[in-house]
Formats: sequence, structure tokens, C-alpha cells
Amino acid sequence: MAESSLDVLLKGSSGRNTRGLLRIIILLTIAAAAVSSRLFSVIRFESIIHEFDPWFNFRATKYLVQNGFYSFWDWFDDRTWHPLGRVTGGTLYPGLMVTSGIIYHILRFLTIPVDIRNICVLLAPGFSGLTALAMYFLTCEMSSSPSAGLLAAAFMGITPGYISRSVAGSYDNEAIAIFLLVFTFFLWIKAVKNGSIMWGALTALFYGYMVSAWGGYVFITNLIPLHVFVLICMGRYSTRLYISYTTWYALGTLGSMQIPFVGFLPIRNSDHMSALGIFGLIQLVAFAEFVRGYLPGKQFQKLLTSMVFLVFGLGFAGLILLSVSGVIAPWSGRFYSLWDTGYAKIHIPIIASVSEHQPTAWPAFFFDLNFLIWLFPAGVFICFQKLKDEHVFVIIYAVLSSYFAGVMVRLMLTLTPIVCVAAALALSAILDNFLVLSKPDPEAVAKASSDDSKSFRSSRNAVVGIYSYFSKTVVTCSMSLYLLLFVAHCTWVTSNAYSSPSVVLASKMPDGSQFIIDDYREAYYWLRQNTPDNAKIMSWWDYGYQIGGMADRPTLVDNNTWNNTHIATVGKAMSSREEVSYPILRQHDVDYVLVVFGGLLGYSGDDLNKFLWMVRIAEGIWPDEVNERDYFTSRGEYRVDEEATPTMKNSLMYKMSYYNYNSLFPAGQAVDRVRGVKLPAESPQLNTLEEAFTSENWIIRIYKVKDLDNLGRDHNNAVAFDKGLKRKRATKKKGPRVLRTE
Amino acid sequence: MPAKRHAASTTSASTASTPATLSSGPATLKTNASAAEIAQHVWQQYLATTSQRTMLLDAFMAFLVLVGGLQFLYCVLAGNYPFNAFLSGFCAAVGQFVLTASLRMQTSDKSGPVVSKPSSKGKNARFVDDDDEEQVSGYSHERAFADYIFGSLILHFFCINFIN
Amino acid sequence: MRWCLAFLLCCFLAAVNALSSSGSRLLVVLDDSTEKSSFSTLWSDLEGRGYDVSFESPKSDKLSLFEHGERAYDHLLILPPKSKGLGPNLTPKHILDFLNKDGNILLALSGKSATSSAISSLLLEADIHLSNDRSAVVIDHFNYDTVSAAEKHDVLLLQRPASLRPDVKAFFDGEGVLALPRVAPQTLGSDSPLIAPVLRAPNTAYAYNPKEEVPAAEDIEATGSQLNIVSAMQARNSARFTVLGSVEALEDKWFSASVKAPGGKKTTTVNREFAKQLTAWTFKETGVLKVGEIKHHLATDGEVALHDLNPKIYRIKNETFFSIEMSEYSYDKWVPFELPAEDELQLEFTMLSPFHRLNLEPTSRTETSTVYSTKFVTPDQHGIFSFRVNYKRPFLTNVEEKHEVTVRHFAHDEYPRSWAISGGWVWIAGLWSVIGGFLAFVVVWLYSAPVADKTKKTQ
Repeated sequence: MAESSLDVLLKGSSGRNTRGLLRIIILLTIAAAAVSSRLFSVIRFESIIHEFDPWFNFRATKYLVQNGFYSFWDWFDDRTWHPLGRVTGGTLYPGLMVTSGIIYHILRFLTIPVDIRNICVLLAPGFSGLTALAMYFLTCEMSSSPSAGLLAAAFMGITPGYISRSVAGSYDNEAIAIFLLVFTFFLWIKAVKNGSIMWGALTALFYGYMVSAWGGYVFITNLIPLHVFVLICMGRYSTRLYISYTTWYALGTLGSMQIPFVGFLPIRNSDHMSALGIFGLIQLVAFAEFVRGYLPGKQFQKLLTSMVFLVFGLGFAGLILLSVSGVIAPWSGRFYSLWDTGYAKIHIPIIASVSEHQPTAWPAFFFDLNFLIWLFPAGVFICFQKLKDEHVFVIIYAVLSSYFAGVMVRLMLTLTPIVCVAAALALSAILDNFLVLSKPDPEAVAKASSDDSKSFRSSRNAVVGIYSYFSKTVVTCSMSLYLLLFVAHCTWVTSNAYSSPSVVLASKMPDGSQFIIDDYREAYYWLRQNTPDNAKIMSWWDYGYQIGGMADRPTLVDNNTWNNTHIATVGKAMSSREEVSYPILRQHDVDYVLVVFGGLLGYSGDDLNKFLWMVRIAEGIWPDEVNERDYFTSRGEYRVDEEATPTMKNSLMYKMSYYNYNSLFPAGQAVDRVRGVKLPAESPQLNTLEEAFTSENWIIRIYKVKDLDNLGRDHNNAVAFDKGLKRKRATKKKGPRVLRTE
Repeated sequence: MPAKRHAASTTSASTASTPATLSSGPATLKTNASAAEIAQHVWQQYLATTSQRTMLLDAFMAFLVLVGGLQFLYCVLAGNYPFNAFLSGFCAAVGQFVLTASLRMQTSDKSGPVVSKPSSKGKNARFVDDDDEEQVSGYSHERAFADYIFGSLILHFFCINFIN
Repeated sequence: MRWCLAFLLCCFLAAVNALSSSGSRLLVVLDDSTEKSSFSTLWSDLEGRGYDVSFESPKSDKLSLFEHGERAYDHLLILPPKSKGLGPNLTPKHILDFLNKDGNILLALSGKSATSSAISSLLLEADIHLSNDRSAVVIDHFNYDTVSAAEKHDVLLLQRPASLRPDVKAFFDGEGVLALPRVAPQTLGSDSPLIAPVLRAPNTAYAYNPKEEVPAAEDIEATGSQLNIVSAMQARNSARFTVLGSVEALEDKWFSASVKAPGGKKTTTVNREFAKQLTAWTFKETGVLKVGEIKHHLATDGEVALHDLNPKIYRIKNETFFSIEMSEYSYDKWVPFELPAEDELQLEFTMLSPFHRLNLEPTSRTETSTVYSTKFVTPDQHGIFSFRVNYKRPFLTNVEEKHEVTVRHFAHDEYPRSWAISGGWVWIAGLWSVIGGFLAFVVVWLYSAPVADKTKKTQ
């Protein structure tokens, strides 16, 4: 009876409605799950912006909300990159800020009073819900099976590879960019399938939005032309392809040029040239097809292919020529490091120093994608079996992004959507085959078994399929088990690895209770409340955005690493002797210097561990004055204890880190818990700086830069005098006395 | 690179006016004698099979090629000082051209079935089964034209915004 | 009651007659009252100029330069103590703290007895050096007083000093002869810009320790004009510290003694005049600069509205106007500051290094100040710039003005529009012809539509 009532529900026209409703409910549930699993950090800590870059985005958004769009566009930020300033309005991707600004104003219009901070914190989870929906649409285009879309949406909603960049509070460009990426691809597939200008134009519009939101738009810019190119090479040119591609390119390029930061790049930069080349190619192909319509003949095929290769070759040669001659901007450094992983390390230490730009470690794939990574090849294989236009797209996307994800950690993000699609295709194929309850016609089975001995092959074809309940149960159960494990894994990873705001650290006390380490905010609020409004803070660039956002003080360098020289200047000041550093500090009007020191707590992300990057970056600009070798002992070790080299011990960073540190310990017992070494018994001497603030766990130490001595003495001598040391009479100098001529 | 694109667009558009220049391409494959004949043949075929409405499209496309070509020529001769103005002027012509070409493909599908059928059906008949029919049947002229207007308006908006 | 009245009167007097620009509380540190009487003219002169003079012995327990962490006195005059050192309340550290808190000090030395080592080390901090054994006196066999030191030649007769350099104002010049008995000479370090000689020994002078018989040749550190009789240091905060080599020159008897140089006429000394100049300079009655109003704004022809004045932000290539008002204090009033000949007041427009360094020209003058101004175009570089006026000259208080402004880039609507550039017309025409063509095409298309449909149906 139950079966029959189910049948009523699931079959016929009412069945379609029910299924539609069910599907909507499932999708909404998936979206809700996607949102809620990203709220761990808000629940565990508080509604706070995470990490580094989001702080800048948050600050920019506040500026946008306060001053309006036009002044945001023309924003010249004089509180970063002191004294250069930053033409912020023209050097950022405004999509994120504008999106949250619009949401803010809409909510205001609806008289819902909401703090802009909460919008920023919750934007990423909100958009991840949308991403799940977009994923559903994209996958539905790929497969006729309804379960594939739902599975893909569910995967996308909870896979850690995406959660890592979209937990509540990580208010970064990627938060909306992934949604736009998936949705643009959906529209593109739709356009290719339908060959309609409208879908092409919509693709272009969303592409334009994507361009305004994330630098990763270049991925789309190259993937779509590649897709078209492969299709043409496969001899699958069609008017649909022409319509969708040309519409997308013409509108999309113009649209992307409306973004001030992108500007003329789409026709200047090599990154965008492939799209232009394919645009030319498709014109030729279209024309050839057009002529062909009037000209039947075998030769034509030859003509066509030869023309294609000729033109492509010519275009490629021209591109190389123009790049070499400098008309087109050379590839950007980040792009080079995509192809040659060693490139950045040698040429641009600043790029290599960012942990996001490091090559991915293999376990990270499993960590971020879990069992999807096993299903991924299966899904790609299924695509090969069908191999329609959209499946070609999936294959290309899969190949390209797996390579990129292997090169750079942060590009794992672009891999995640396609892994979800492919895995969902594979899994839905498995489930569709195994989960269907109906038995084959018993007669046919009987016939088959009886015929088995006679005509082996033909009967095999007729009744192939999985009918045994046992195998069905086993496979289905194991798949469900995998799915459950996947969900458990995702939840565990999300709650443990990706939900820490990194502004607030959490650790466990011996008794298991949580212990919150809030040194960052303590120090930033100290700066906010105890220093003049325009006191310039020098720190390594990692903390620039946070100081700007939380302490609201001008900084010398920040995470927008556009000016290598300026960063190298800070690196030089940190890695040189006080006598060298002090003039640099004076010249840049530095009032306070901030360092991060984890020695007391065993916090390993501190400045001394990043110190070698400072040295390297400084060495890149001043090879004569800073030399990395000097910071290593003669045996090539990086040491901070008694054995450290004099250069190391005299460097400002070393002194600032360990100044007075031994006062915490009994004499001669000072220990650095990060590097696990015993420190020299004597504290380093600081003459040109004075300690202004040290946070509770010593993670942040702030030093004030002393003014010039009132009596015109060296700081050395002034400090010695204050300590009560008698200054020695100027001893008899060798050589002739210098006379005062004035 | 714009030169390349320009070349592409002129060649593809010059169908309407001078197909002879293009059939010099096949001349390398065929014998010299038939090249002129082919051109003749194509031209006559074109005149014979094309509907009046498609002719109108072709005329508009020729006009766009003319505008784009003139702008490009001027850019080469006189320099591209307000670069954004040049870009938007030129891109408008190119964009309008491809949009019109798309419209032509969509609308001439039925009137001139010779054009698209062999290309899509000839080789990939295995893959293109239901989709293609869907497309052919699902796109009325009115729908295609509405799409075209939609695309063009976006294009014009971008261009006017960009030319400042 | 009378005391109270007297105090009020004093206050009133001080108010009208408060001569120093930085307060009138003067502490004189001297050994005992007998000594005090021999300087009575100086005290009365100082009191006459409005100073509130108090006396303390260096050994006194009450002596303290600070009260509740603030200066208890504005100025300090230290006479050389007879005993060794200045006692526990006047260590070099105290004295430096006093200087760092803007107190002014006049330190007198004497060649009669050896200077204490505490004072020597204090002077060393300021890069002023005494002779090795701290007990030398300056001897000159050509410029001595034949009346009082015919034998020892240790009373110098000198003209008052002219200006140090042509571009430095003279604060100690004038007619007449100074008598400087038993001078303890100082030499100055060669690289400190803060110290300057006020009065140098003549070329023929040398330092000699009367207790030793013959100075060893290698012990001679300096001779002639390298020896300073009076030297001055002005710290970065403009606190003044003057070292006078001969305390006796301030005594009553030398204020109006008649002296006679070898081969000269008998004259009266102008020590009193010089003492006035020296104390006036040290206690900031002269050579004090004050910066009045600083204005900067976009260069316009008419008046500048108040809200356009001193904007925080400029744009690149703005024409900018800058003006600074300067006054100088002269004994009892502010007068317009006049630049010495051959000197210039300069404005720098700086980001890391100066992009502009311009001479400021005097443009107008009020009763108490001169207004210097200039006009310039901001450089084609955005960033955080500062207007800087850095005017530091010997004997004048330091002027270091720094006003940060932001120079921004062109805003999006400040570039010329396309139609304003004649080169853009071609492309504008191209764009509009495309749009026009499009509209015409649409009209024609719609017009021809039914016909096309019919033909198709007939087909």
C-alpha cells in the first residue's frame, strides 16, 4: 500500500510537481547547510573580520558606505604606504565592497538597521549558499540525471576546499568570486547549448561582475577561449558557438574595461591575448563556413583546416613578437610562477614569501576534498563517454585547474567547483544504477538464464544491469557510508582548521578548557587609544591591513604588495644595525615599530621566523648592504641563541624581539619556546627605540622611535649618560686636530 | 593584435562586396583557372539564395566594417591619443558587427538551410541529436531579434560609458 | 598686607616688564652672601629687567630645580663654587633635565681655581671641552690690561664680537672694550651644529696653567681663536646654555673699571653692557623667533574663504600658495623678523626628499611680524607631502614647522572628457554612427518584417 501511495506521489503530473517541490526544499536545505556550517567561527568566537586581507576590504567597505560610490572611486588612501599613499579606488577590485554596500543600502531602505560589519562578516556564507545553487544549475546542464545537480550542490556547500575561503568573517574577494565563477560557467554552457545572444550577453555581464570582484577572472578569460578552440579543433564549430563566443567576448571585454583597475589590460596584457586570438579565429572559421555553404567540395575541408592552423600560427608568432618588443605588457610575475614553480623564489622573493603562493602539498588535496578527489577522475571519465560540448568544457577545466591547484595553494579554490561537478556526475551515475529498485522483467531474466549456455553474447546485452539486492545494498551502503564520512570530515575540518579568525587565537588549557589569546587586538587597541591619530606605524607588511583596520593608524607597508622597494626598505630597517635603521625610520616619519614575537607562547608565525624573507627582499634591492649569508652561522644554521652571528644579534628585529625578554626568567634561563633554544643571558641593548607596549603574552611588542637627542649627542652616548656612566674624555686623537672653522 | 582582428573582420565581411579576394585562398589548393569561376559561382549563389532581409543585414554589416575600418585607419595614421575613445569607437563597430553576424546566423537558418545544416550536422551528427533541433525550433526570429536588441543595448551602454 | 601688596606690585611690574619671552623666575646658584654682594650691579640690572631673582647655595638642601616634576625656575645662573662640585642637587643629570625641559642656563667659570669635574663632564655632554687639567687661564701678551695685570697678562681686553658669519645676526656687538680677567678657556667640538662661539680669544692668546711651570708642547690643545671665552649651546628644543669663561667680568668692579691696553689709551670697560647682552640672549630676551599664522591654500586671485584655508588634501599639479608669519622678540616686545643679509628663509615641499625648495619672500608686514610667502605648483606625484620650514641658525631659536598634506591623483572626472580632445571626435563620430546605423537598421528591419514573414510562409 505504501508503495502505491508513493507511486501516486512520484509518478504522473502531480509526481512532477512533488519532485519539483522536493528538489526546491532539498536545495534550500543544502544552501542552509552551506551557510550554517560556515558560522562556526562566529559562534565560537564572535562576529569579527578574520585574517589580513579582509580587514582592508572591510575598511574599504566602510569608506564606501560612509562617503558614497564616487568618492570611493576616487579614494586616495593616505593612511597606507606612508608616505607614498595608495590610489586605492583605482587599484582594487571593487566588486566585493560594492556588493556589500548595495546590500547595506537595500537593508537600510527596508528599514532594517544592520551594522556594515555584520554584512561583511556574513557575506561569504551567504554567497556560498548561492554558490551551491549555481552549482546545481551548472551540473544540471551536464547531466540528465536530477541527482547529479543536487549532489554537486551539496558537495559544493560543504567541501572544505571552498569553506577555507568563505567562513563567516573571511570577507575576501573569493567570497563572491567563486559564486560568480560558477555562475558565469553555467551561463556560458547555457549560451553554448542554446546559441543565443541573450545567454551570451548574460555571460558577459556576469563575467564583468567577476572582473570587478577578483583577479582570478583571468582564469575565465583563458578557459572559455580554450574551450572554443578545442571545439573548433574537434571540428565542432557551429553557429551556436560563434554566437555565444563573439557575444561574450565583445561585451565581456568592453565590460571588463569599465573597471578602473583593469583598464586597458584586456588588449595590452598577454594574459588576455588568447581570447582575442580565438575571437579572430572564430571569425575566420565562420566566414569559411559561410563560403562553404555555397561551395561544396572536398578541397574545402583541407582549405579550412590549413587556414585555421596558418592563422593560429601567425597570431601566435605575432603575439610573441609583440610581447618581446614590449608593445604588450609582459606576463605578470604571479603568472610566471604558475608555470615555473622555482621562478618566484629566484626572481621575486616577495611573491614567494606569501604562503598562499607556495606549491600545494599532496595531503592538502585529500584534506580539502576528501573522497571527492577519488571520484573526480571517474567523473571526468564519464564526461569522456558522453563528450558533448559541455563535457569538453568540464574536461578542459578539470585538466587546467588540477595543474594550477598543484602549483599554488590558493588556486585549490578554482579546482573545487569542477571536482564537485565531476564527483557528482560519477556518484550520481553509481547511485542511479544501483539505487533503482525495479527488477528486470522476470521472464527476460529467466529467458536469459536459459539462453545463457546457447547464445552468450546476445543475451548478455539484453539483460545487463545490476539486479541483485545484495550488490545494490552493499554498494549503496558503502556509498552512503562514504558520504557520511565526507560530511563528518567536512565538519571536522571546518570547525578545527578553518574557523579560527587568526586575529584571536585559541588554545587549550591543560584541563581542556579554552584559552583565548587576544594579544593582537589588545595591541591594536593600545595603539588606537594611546598614540596620536597620525602616528606612523612600521611593521612587516603582513600586519599592515590589520593595523589600518583595527588600530586606524597609518602604516608604511601592507598586504597590497605593489611596491617592492618600499617593502624592501622596511626589510632593510628591520634587518640592519640600529645606526643604519634609525635614519631610515626618521626619513619615513616612523613613530612606532611593531613586531610580533611568539617566543614566550610558542606562536610560530612570528616575525623572527619570517625574518629571512625580510632579509631576502631587502637584499634584492640593496645587495651591498644586506647579505643573507651573514644571518647564518658558519655552519649554515639559522640561530638566535648564543651562537647567533653578530649581524643577527645586532639586527633591529632581533633586538626588538628579545629586548628585556630575559627579565621574565631567572638569570640565564631565558628560553625561546618557538625555536626551542636558550637565549644569551644579557638582554640586547636598544638605543634609538624605547619599549612602549608589550601585550599580555608578549606576542606583540611596540617600540617608540626616539627623537633626536636634545643636545645633539649620539643615542649611544645619551643612553650611556642616562645610565650614569661617566663619559670618557675625548682621548688624544691621532693625527691633526680638527679645528672649528666657524 | 587589433590588426589581426581587423583583418579577420574585413575578410569575413567582404563577402558581400568582393569575394574575389578571398577565393584567392583556395586558389592555392585548386587550379588557377577555377578560382574566378568559384568566385562567380559563390556570388551568384549568394544573390540567388539570400532573402531580402538577410541582404539588409549584410548591408548593415558592410557599413559597420566600413566604419570600423575607417576608424582603424585613422588610428594607424593619426595615433590613438584618447585611447579609450578609440577603443570604444572601434569596439562598438566590431561588437555590433559580431552581434549582427549572430543575428544573421539565427535568422537565416531557415531561409538558407544550406548555410548551417551541413556544418552542424555533417560531422557531428553523432553528438548533436536533440539539442540542435531544439535550437532551430526554439528560436523564432522575434526571439533572436529581441536578444539582438538586448545585446546591442548593453554594448552601447558600455561604449558610451567608456568613451566618457 | 604690605607684603601682599608688594607681591602684587611685583607681579604687576613683572607683567609690564616681563622681559624674557619664557618666564622670569631666575635662580642664582652661588656660594655665600659675601660673594653675592660683589655682583650687586648685575642683580639689580636683572631685577630691573623684570627678573624674579632668588639665590641658593649649592650645598643647600632646599635647592631643587624641579617641583612636582616641573621646572621650579625658568632660568639658572651658576657661579663657580669654591668647593668641589655643585653638590647632590645639581648633578649634571639634573642640569641636563633642566635643559631638556626648556630651562636656560648661564654657567660662569673662573680661572682662579680648578673647575670641578662634574661641570667638566656636564660640558662634555654638550661637546664643550675644558683644558686637560681644568685650571688653565688664557694669557695674551698683546691684549692685556696694563693697569691690573701688568705682570701676569691674564686680564684680556677685547672688542665686543661682531657677527659670527655674514648670514648670522649679531647679538653681542657694539663699541667699547671688554675686560675679562682670568678666563677659563673652552674649546668646542668640531661637529656639533648646536654650539657656537660667542666670544673668542684673540689670535695671540694661549692657555696656560699658572701652577705648572712650562706647558709641554704636546699638551697644548688649542691656541688663538680656537679658545673660546664665551660659548653658547642652543639645544634642539631651543633651551640655551651659555658658558662664560670669566665670572669676574660680571663683578661690580669690572663693570666700570678703567683699563689700558698696551700702547693704548685709558678707557672704561663696557662689561655691564655686555653682561646685559649675554644674559638677555641666554634668558631668551633676544634671538627668539615666533611663528605666527601659517597659511596654505590653492592660489586664487581673490580672497580665500575660511573653509578653503589650510586644506588637508591637494591634487597633483595644483598651484599652491604658502605663507608664514614670523616675529622676533627684542627685549620687551615682538617685532617683525628681518632676515640677515645673505640669508634666506626656505620652504620645502617634501616627501622622503624635497620636491621643491623655494625661497620665501617677505610680502607684507604687520606691527609685530613679517609675512613670508611663495607660490608653487605641486609636483606630479601623489603621496603624503609636508610643507616644511626648517630655519635653524646660531643664536636664533629653532624654527621647524612641518605640516602634512595629502597630494592626491586626478579624480575620475578631472581628466579631460573625450569631446574636449579634438583627437577624440573621430571616434565619437564613429560610435554614434554605429548607434545611428543600428537604430536605422532596427527601424528598417521592423518595417520589412511582415513582408519577410509572408515570403517565408509562401515558401
